[in-house]
Amino acid sequence: MNRSAPRSIDQYLRQLREELAGADSALIQDALYDAEEYLRAEVAAHPHKSESDVLELIASTYGAPDEVASAYRDTEVKVKAAMATPRKEAKSVLGRFFGVFLDPRAYTSLFFLLLALPTGIIYFVLTVTGLSLSAGFSVLIIGVPFFLLFMAICRVVSLAEGRLIEAMTGVRMPRRPVYQGKALGFWARIGEMLKDPRTWTTIAYFLLRLPIGVLYFVIVVAGLAVSLSLVAGPIIGVLGQAGWFGLSAADVFSDAQPEWVFNTPFGIPVLGLAGLLLLTSLMHLARGIGRLHAMFAKSMLVARTESSVPDSARSGAALTA
Amino acid sequence: MDDSNERKFQKELNGGLVGLVLLAVLAESDQDLYGYEIAKRLANANDGTSIFKEGTIYPVLRALSAGNLLTSRIVPSYSGPPRRYYRITEQGRGVLAEWKLIWQATRDFVDRFTETEDSNIGHSS
Repeated sequence: MNRSAPRSIDQYLRQLREELAGADSALIQDALYDAEEYLRAEVAAHPHKSESDVLELIASTYGAPDEVASAYRDTEVKVKAAMATPRKEAKSVLGRFFGVFLDPRAYTSLFFLLLALPTGIIYFVLTVTGLSLSAGFSVLIIGVPFFLLFMAICRVVSLAEGRLIEAMTGVRMPRRPVYQGKALGFWARIGEMLKDPRTWTTIAYFLLRLPIGVLYFVIVVAGLAVSLSLVAGPIIGVLGQAGWFGLSAADVFSDAQPEWVFNTPFGIPVLGLAGLLLLTSLMHLARGIGRLHAMFAKSMLVARTESSVPDSARSGAALTA
Repeated sequence: MDDSNERKFQKELNGGLVGLVLLAVLAESDQDLYGYEIAKRLANANDGTSIFKEGTIYPVLRALSAGNLLTSRIVPSYSGPPRRYYRITEQGRGVLAEWKLIWQATRDFVDRFTETEDSNIGHSS
């Protein structure tokens, strides 16, 4: 792909973005961030040269967009391969079904779903407070700065949520915040922010996280309670009949429990097995929900590749002006 | 594109070397460094032109950081986006020591073959 060499930071970033087309959106965000750091530092280091003069040499120092893009792609593949815990894939259906207990992702996903309630409450309170205070302050002089502060906090929190999701579910999320062009004027930046669909999807995500978090929490707590008590029930029943706990079986399971379940050699293993199946299904469910949620979060929190083209174009234009 | 063969060879060589060089640079430095600074140190050490494309060190820095060989912190900057400053970890120093040994062994091994072309007698002693 031979095209004209980039003449400005903005052009370089656009070409890099095109070269990375189809790559993970989080990877693109990181690559653009790194490139922008380097290019702006390089331009700042040569105050006597124009931006286009500096960019002329960039292909031999930083690397042409296609070289840089392939470096990111290669490194990402290697890191993924190195970080992935080697797993023995069970062949049989039964092995694959119960193999979920050996998958650390299943446990972390389960933990993430539990954590979804407290974090959901925090996000919800933050967003509702921020939005309503912004609306209230909008008639005062502190209204606009307050809204900006609120949005800045939202960006940081969304990055943190991304890191949490990646740690828990293993789905790649951005490791760098989105860099807003510094050269934009104060009002232009606010306009930019209001026009950026990501601003609104981020707010919507934070609001939705509470009901979603409640749902996840209920699924996990109810699932764990039912399946674990089903597993534990027969064991306690047998031990109780054997005279443990200082009680007779009749005391342990007086009239609350159907007698036949615990007193037949058939009922006890069936109950335990049902609990085990339920527990295993819950682990699968947790892992699946974790992955789905990560995809949902990515679509809401990470900018789509095209949407950030215009604002960096404007920042580049403003910088050369 | 006459040099495409050379470039490809250089690129394949660099694959593992970039990580080694980055760890070594950070281990020698008594202060935290950010990507651009590291890139310039590499270039200055080689008369202004680094044998690595400087753009390729950033993804490697991130990979080393993800592997707990480096830690990083973010500092705002006037010239562009906030900079990420890197520092080598104890684990990183351990890995660097191992990699150095591997590199020295590899270099000696390769030298044994490539240098015989120039001086066949030199290595018999």
